[in-house]
Amino acid sequence: MHIPDGYLGPQTYVVLDAAIVPVWAIAAAKVKSTLKARQVPLMALGAAFSFVIMMFNVPVIGGSTGHAVGATLIAILLGPWAAVLSVSIALVVQALLFGDGGITAIGANCFNMAVVMPFVGYYVYRLIAGNTDGLRRRVISSGIAAYVSIVVAAIFAGVEFGLQPLLAHTAAGQPLYAPYPLSVAVPAMAVEHLLFFGWVEALATMGVVAALGRSDSALLEMKPAARPLRWLWAAFAGLVLLTPIGVLAPGTAWGEWGAEEMKARLGFVPEGLAKVGGLWTAAIPDYAPAFVKNPLLGYLVAAIVGSVIVVGVTWGVAALVAKRENDDESSAAAA
Amino acid sequence: MCERDIRPADLGGGRLRPSLARRTAESVGRHVSEVLENEDLATADGLLQRIDPRAKLLAILLFSVTASLLRSPWLLAAMFAIALALAAASAVSPLSFARKVWGSAGLLAVLLAVPAATRLVTPGPVLVPLGALSLSTPGVLGAVTLVLRVVASAGTALLIVWTMRWSDLLGALTRLKVPDVIVATLAMTQKQIVSLMRTTQQIHLARESRTIAEGSVAENRDWVTGRMAFVVRKSIKTADDVYDAMLARGFSGSMCLVARVQGGRRDWAYLAAAAATAAALLGIDRAMLR
Amino acid sequence: MTAAEPNACRTPDFVLAGVRQEYRRGFPSLDGIDLAIGCGEHVVIAGANGSGKSTLLKMLDGLLFPSAGTIAAFGADLTEDAFEDPGFRREFRSRVGFVFQDADVQLFCSDAFEELAFGPLQLGLPEEEVRRRVDDVARNLRIEHLLDRPPYTLSGGEKKRVSIGAVLTMQPHVLLLDEPTNALDPRSQVWLLEVLDEWKRLGNTVVIATHDLSVAEEIADRMVVLSEDHRVVADGTPAEVLAMRDLLLRVNLIHEHAHRHGGVTHMHGHDHSGHGHEHVHG
Repeated sequence: MHIPDGYLGPQTYVVLDAAIVPVWAIAAAKVKSTLKARQVPLMALGAAFSFVIMMFNVPVIGGSTGHAVGATLIAILLGPWAAVLSVSIALVVQALLFGDGGITAIGANCFNMAVVMPFVGYYVYRLIAGNTDGLRRRVISSGIAAYVSIVVAAIFAGVEFGLQPLLAHTAAGQPLYAPYPLSVAVPAMAVEHLLFFGWVEALATMGVVAALGRSDSALLEMKPAARPLRWLWAAFAGLVLLTPIGVLAPGTAWGEWGAEEMKARLGFVPEGLAKVGGLWTAAIPDYAPAFVKNPLLGYLVAAIVGSVIVVGVTWGVAALVAKRENDDESSAAAA
Repeated sequence: MCERDIRPADLGGGRLRPSLARRTAESVGRHVSEVLENEDLATADGLLQRIDPRAKLLAILLFSVTASLLRSPWLLAAMFAIALALAAASAVSPLSFARKVWGSAGLLAVLLAVPAATRLVTPGPVLVPLGALSLSTPGVLGAVTLVLRVVASAGTALLIVWTMRWSDLLGALTRLKVPDVIVATLAMTQKQIVSLMRTTQQIHLARESRTIAEGSVAENRDWVTGRMAFVVRKSIKTADDVYDAMLARGFSGSMCLVARVQGGRRDWAYLAAAAATAAALLGIDRAMLR
Repeated sequence: MTAAEPNACRTPDFVLAGVRQEYRRGFPSLDGIDLAIGCGEHVVIAGANGSGKSTLLKMLDGLLFPSAGTIAAFGADLTEDAFEDPGFRREFRSRVGFVFQDADVQLFCSDAFEELAFGPLQLGLPEEEVRRRVDDVARNLRIEHLLDRPPYTLSGGEKKRVSIGAVLTMQPHVLLLDEPTNALDPRSQVWLLEVLDEWKRLGNTVVIATHDLSVAEEIADRMVVLSEDHRVVADGTPAEVLAMRDLLLRVNLIHEHAHRHGGVTHMHGHDHSGHGHEHVHG
């Protein structure tokens, strides 16, 4: 899932690089308030084990093995904010120490693997595991959380890839960056992770949680669930807004297209996209204004609806977890 | 336990696929030696090694962005050629450099780009007629551009990473006003990565040395995840200890580094040259579009 | 050696009164410790694994604070609050150096030079002074050739040398060492004892936590024994303490079958005349 440099155009990586900075700042503030100066060694070690865990070959089935990302595991162990920092540092070190993973794409990679994945994973885990002390339930919850989180992260990566042919291509239709439209990139990423890497992630996470649960259950102590995280949602919302702006303003990066060319460009639609767009136009009544039938708009609406669903579900889960904790506290107080 | 250090290969199974433990140990070992070789490469006498790491850090950003903005495959190829020449001038074997770049990032890009050259993915006039799988002109151009862009970005980044000591990189970050807490964390992360990778390699070698027959997939997986848990435990314990060790030596929340590489006018001249190269590439690129 | 001026020694370096430390509620790692460590003393804290000697050392270094009781250093109370004061922290850290058992833990910088420079830089010394101290210590410890090497390229013995160097550049008055001879090859052990002899000659204080009794004989002039229930059970000269065979057996420092003090193993490869060595043969 590591996106190297060259696949994402500037409209995408600038947005994601810019979006990741405030997320890091918030994460650093959150972590600092809980860990104080101890954050330096703990984040460094968290990053180091995040890095090293990615190097283990996890046997899945037959002779096949795969590498896990470990972001959900780290979120379960250190809490989601600490996981944001640990996994991000691991990715940055990977880029700067081994030249792997890209410089401009750091924001995209961190966003997928160090923000989306630990948060989705953490809240799915908390939702299913609740406050149980039963190791079995925790192990199973961690597996489901790992599976769901990596699939969601992969879909995000697929969307980032899939936006590229829309955002940047020459007048002749030559794509400048990742060439596959959303209709290919998203299912490809999703299927790959649903069928294989999701299982790697789930089996690895379950194995580690089980092993730690047997020996050091203190490490699995539930980290307090954050209240629904306004800032993170603001960042999500900002991204959802920024992405369409990037789509609508593809010429600005080059500064070469006038209104005429822009129209010509917007008229160009890769075949795959045309299908998505077709679905959209089919769903729109005939009397709607012409611009609403634009397949690009259809795609945009789909992207926004998709993001809203992801954000909404995660938010709901977070609220549920927080509420349940409140209830537990009050019932504990009552007792 | 009675350990006799028998490996499958010794039992006449030489053509067997190397065991899981051996494969992991070897790949981790390669990463460790890469870190150690980088140290040698970065202290060798060469053009890029003599440049202030700050200038190089800025150059890495500059060239990554430039590679992402160019549209002409020719200029992307030229960028990679420049990187090759700089490698040769910096005690980096151009052959091993090219092999590394094309073998990892390049190969992946080729595999990804080939299907996109077909008319199925990228419609347009036919360039190579292959029936349903005919290649379109924009498709082929797009595929070539993608591969060259990936290689040009990965090449410039790798070249600079290879010619810069990690400690100098951290010093450069400090002097570029990156907050100390980030630099301190990066410093510690790299050191702990090496230490944990060594542990991981040892674990897998120890496993390999007493494995005669590989167990079932589930057994292997239990073993692997158990070792991952061990690495997690060791990390958390070490984090506490390292923090104490830092406090004991007066750590007060900020890291200080002594600047041992002094930047001079020459370094800024190099940076200016890099900026001029990038600007020239972009200028030519835009001119070619008209 | 990079030693400070001979000390005025107006107060004992450390005074512990009724110190108890719990790592979990109800589980003490130290209990009822009353102990004073004088200026210029050379004390070995001996105890079996888990007796609390590392904990004691960390408390002397202000890394852990008592759950009950008080601990004072150089006449001032050591509390978490006291360390919030940058002036106090700086003063205390510059006077007390701690060599950790695991050199891998102690070496957290990107190369040996940075390691040696870390402490003085944290003390806020000017760069010139930092470089001078690093050069002096590196020369004295014969580790100049290691300075630009990252810690992960060093051998075990070299790591120990660098971690001691990293403490000595702070020119402390008190040196705390946790199991310093563990995992050291014989040559490095001899080297370490020479360094400590030199340290002793300069009138500085040393506190060593160890279960290696030969260290006590070699360099200590006082020996404190911790029992497995985390209390001080003996305190005297090494000669006196090492004579208490039953006690040492009880606290799991010696074993029936180990005749440590019948045939003492000497690690020094050179002459010690004039250092006031006493060898006890039980």
